[in-house]
Amino acid sequence: MTAVTAPRVAGGRWASQVLGEAGIGVALAALVAFFLAFAPYFGTSQNVRDIMTQITINTILAVGMTFVILVGGIDLSVGSVIALCAVVAGTAMTDSGLPTALAVPFAILISVLIGAATGFVNGFVTERWVVPSFIVTLGMLYVARGAAQQYTGAATIYNLPPGLTRFGTATFAGLPAVFVVAMLLVAVAWFVLSRTVFGRLIYATGNNEEAVRLSGHRTSLIKVACFVIGGACVGIAAIIYMARLGVASPILGQGYELNAIAAVVIGGASLAGGRGSVIGTLLGACLLGVLSNGLNLMGVSDFQRTMVTGAVIIVAVVLDAYRRRLSVRLS
Amino acid sequence: MRRRVALTAMITATAALALAGCGQESTDDPAPGQAGGKPTVCLVMKSLANEYFQQMQDGAVKHVQERNDLTLESTGTQNETDVDGQVALVESCITKLARAIVIAPADSKALVQVVAKAVKADIKVVNIDVKLDDGALQQAGVDVPFVGPDNRDGARQSGKVLADLLGRGGKVVILEGNPGADNATQRKNGFNDAVAEGGLTLLDSKTAHWETDEANQVFASMLTAHPDIQGVLASNDSMALGAIKVIQERRANVKVASFDNIPAVKEHVQSGVMVATLDQYGSKQAADGIDYAMKMIAGETVTGWQKTEIKLITKDNIGS
Repeated sequence: MTAVTAPRVAGGRWASQVLGEAGIGVALAALVAFFLAFAPYFGTSQNVRDIMTQITINTILAVGMTFVILVGGIDLSVGSVIALCAVVAGTAMTDSGLPTALAVPFAILISVLIGAATGFVNGFVTERWVVPSFIVTLGMLYVARGAAQQYTGAATIYNLPPGLTRFGTATFAGLPAVFVVAMLLVAVAWFVLSRTVFGRLIYATGNNEEAVRLSGHRTSLIKVACFVIGGACVGIAAIIYMARLGVASPILGQGYELNAIAAVVIGGASLAGGRGSVIGTLLGACLLGVLSNGLNLMGVSDFQRTMVTGAVIIVAVVLDAYRRRLSVRLS
Repeated sequence: MRRRVALTAMITATAALALAGCGQESTDDPAPGQAGGKPTVCLVMKSLANEYFQQMQDGAVKHVQERNDLTLESTGTQNETDVDGQVALVESCITKLARAIVIAPADSKALVQVVAKAVKADIKVVNIDVKLDDGALQQAGVDVPFVGPDNRDGARQSGKVLADLLGRGGKVVILEGNPGADNATQRKNGFNDAVAEGGLTLLDSKTAHWETDEANQVFASMLTAHPDIQGVLASNDSMALGAIKVIQERRANVKVASFDNIPAVKEHVQSGVMVATLDQYGSKQAADGIDYAMKMIAGETVTGWQKTEIKLITKDNIGS
């Protein structure tokens, strides 16, 4: 979990990323040690599997969010879009009359397409009219929530195919199957960001958009693509949600966007763009998940849990500020 | 290099301090789920930011102190919508090997899967507040007893007071709770029963999502559209308060029948604008659930709906 991987682009940034991820890795290790000592049952294999399942959705959302944040954007619509994807894909499974073997792939396709389409709208509007993505995605937050409620008439969809819900509780090589999906997604995202030209353009666009444009690339295409990737991840997360909980409700997902942003930021990404990594994001999601699970097991109240989570986010950004100064000196 | 060490120390220290500051309950269980020979019961609440559920939890804690024959692990989510968070809490209870779980589900269908997991782990589960969906329970192959009030009958009783006062042909509107929420549906059905039995004319029925300010706006536009409204059937007292504000501002002659009996409505029951509300002894419900859980741990079989006490509150019995 504490593996340190970062694109080798510029010496200074590379050093700062190592520092950032080592920092979050150490913090995570300290937290785990603390809970092993003080939270009963924390280290049981059952609980470790619980944590993995519990962080799966946020990890997937945060991977998508990493792409958006790397190009200097933000996506506040995530929590509503996941509800919209879930209710439409859920209805597709229950009402289409298709056999499970066809209905589930069909639903995955629909869910990813809806997510990608909302991402496209977010990115396109942001780029076409040069408006802050904060505002555009805030608008999408309302649109998607309303659309989800309109689509279902506020009803909760259940009776999803048993094959899907079995997948939600299945294990693969001892790991929860849904967590394996999240890990695959992390691996793909890591590869794209650190081993492809497209990935380097994403970092470069976040760092210095003007320079990338002057070197002949259409930066708006790159940025819209990042929003689309973010949206597609939301579509995948919607399917995982249904597999895990066996329902799709139009009110699900409230506040998920903030959890995802928190994971990305704790993972060392800069909201200004150009800095961050998907491994950092994964560690950020782990840290939030471990924190919440460990505090649960210790019997800490939800109010206190919320306060501690907030404090950890603030500490993370303060550290980020220190690190930035250090990286400036290094480069 | 020194700075790097300092940073690491800082984050570690902060996390440790933040954690140490949190209240920690008994962790030195001699045997799993059997702290000091007493069985551990997990109470999983929802909406703890809402005073009603906070009181329910407080009532349970007090009740357990009086019983003194079990260890209570009380947890909950802040929002009614945090389904995922509540599932995680139930999973923690299973991990902790609690003997029983008493749960006020945030969603009547989404919690069924994890509840079934608990039942299959041989943990006794008692459902309070909102009933878990029968169809979903059946599909999961588990039977979980429900301990709670009859919302439909309560709303019918409250609505009947208004119907008797207005007489046949009286014009009323309904303020509904959250669409899709089970107790909102039950109360709306109960009001509709009262409307049908009393021969009232229903002019409009809309949701105000349980909230005072929204009810204030919704009812204001209802009264503008239908100036001849004589009565309001509000699915909870918070919404009734919003409607009463409109009634007072416009000096309209409209009576209100409501549900919940929160302290804030007492003056309105006394002044006569609210003709009835219904006390379902919310603060006792979690405690009742714990009593049933203890019976189940002792080997008794509890199934189906165990109705809890409800009481119609009017000017005659609210006191001064």
